[in-house]
Amino acid sequence: MIHQYKNNGYNIVMDIASGSVHVVDDVVYDAIAMLEPAIGEIESAMPIPAEARAEAKQKLSEIYPEADVEEALSDVQELIDAEELYTKDIYHNYVMDFKKRKTVVKALCLHIAHDCNLACRYCFAEEGEYHGRRALMSFEVGKKALDFLIANSGNRRNLEVDFFGGEPLMNWNVVKQLVEYGRSQEEPHNKKFRFTLTTNGVLLNDEIMEFCNREMANVVLSLDGRKEVNDRMRPTRNGHGSSYDIIVPKFQKFAKSREDRDYYVRGTFTRNNLDFSEDVKHYADLGFEQLSMEPVVAAPEEPYSIREEDLPQILEEYDRLAVEYLKRRKEGKGFNFFHFMIDLSQGPCVAKRLSGCGSGTEYLAVTPWGDFYPCHQFVGNEKFLMGNVDTGIVREDIRDEFKLCNVYAKEKCRDCFARFYCSGGCAANSYNFHGKITDTYDIGCEMQKKRIECAIMIKAALADED
Amino acid sequence: MKHVKTLTNKTLKESMKKGGCGECQTSCQSACKTSCTVGNQACENANR
Repeated sequence: MIHQYKNNGYNIVMDIASGSVHVVDDVVYDAIAMLEPAIGEIESAMPIPAEARAEAKQKLSEIYPEADVEEALSDVQELIDAEELYTKDIYHNYVMDFKKRKTVVKALCLHIAHDCNLACRYCFAEEGEYHGRRALMSFEVGKKALDFLIANSGNRRNLEVDFFGGEPLMNWNVVKQLVEYGRSQEEPHNKKFRFTLTTNGVLLNDEIMEFCNREMANVVLSLDGRKEVNDRMRPTRNGHGSSYDIIVPKFQKFAKSREDRDYYVRGTFTRNNLDFSEDVKHYADLGFEQLSMEPVVAAPEEPYSIREEDLPQILEEYDRLAVEYLKRRKEGKGFNFFHFMIDLSQGPCVAKRLSGCGSGTEYLAVTPWGDFYPCHQFVGNEKFLMGNVDTGIVREDIRDEFKLCNVYAKEKCRDCFARFYCSGGCAANSYNFHGKITDTYDIGCEMQKKRIECAIMIKAALADED
Repeated sequence: MKHVKTLTNKTLKESMKKGGCGECQTSCQSACKTSCTVGNQACENANR
């Protein structure tokens, strides 16, 4: 399968199965499209069928000089010979075998506090409570969760623990105790913990920043962009004052102090700010360099949810953001945008790309009282309760269902060019919109595809600069 | 090739040989939490 598109003056051809990406001129772009029906998908190199070649040559010669056409067709042949064009997807059995392997757990999302000091309108955790009661995780429960992770991680050395909520800083002492406990277990078990924290910043102070800079591999700082946008969707609990005013100075100080350690300023955009590229620019203007902005995922009846009719504007907005990204980079004021980051040469292997996000198998969420769910977005839905820190995983049927959830299990993904980049999308979003985990969240897919196109266009533009 | 600039060659097929070690970061642990993106994750295979 190939995917061709034009963006910001670049003609891009992606050969999906091989992972090759080519920037081409107009004549090759048209030649590749013309030859595709005759060639289809091939397992190994072959000459372009003579009849198709002659027909393409004739049609192209009506538009382009004959010498260019001849060169273009031989370039296409060269790409075919290198197995970088029209290649067939040969990974189905490979990934199925891969997924049948015994799974190990390598990442936990610890819901350290089911409570929050903001009242964000779109919160899937329902202001921290996840359809349940307010609760804080005890050290004992957290310790058992880390022990479970170590015991079930097999030979994997790198283990990830995200302190999540609600708002994890509302239970800060337990976070610190768990980090200390985790570190004490690294050497005896030959493991390396990578701790991360997702916070709204309200309770941030110097001591917390210092601790995080020492212990947290990444911190995710929630802010929605411009003051009016942020404060509308992220109000304080009592409705007084501005969360933006409380948070921004702390985040600025924190981001600066991270130096070469990772952080992301992460926002959510909704129907209320479809011009979200302005919010990303606002982050950059505030001095932040590591940025992420996610579309809200909400029931269609919510007034702020993203609807199909919003897509044209959103897709244009991503294009605008990509151009701004390049412009600011050129001016020496560059920023990273999470969804425009793509590593074309040293990125993830095909097994990772096709096997899904790992929810329910290698990634689990743990509630304050120690229950396991497939991921943070399923917490509170009793149908997905998999076990707890005392019993371990008792619902192996749920784990097995998630284990089989991969790109090839999703009909809509089979012919999608983005499947090697999104890994089949989010199981929770699929469940929320279609009642099963093997479908897709269609509006999300359209945005994902556009983000990938922009990310690759950016690579093309940067290659031009070199 | 005069008309083609290749940004990356057949890395996916090559990755079948040494891939699947699982040491890389879980995608949702990074900065999304509401979508799934793996294309931007780093490979952490020590033996690649």
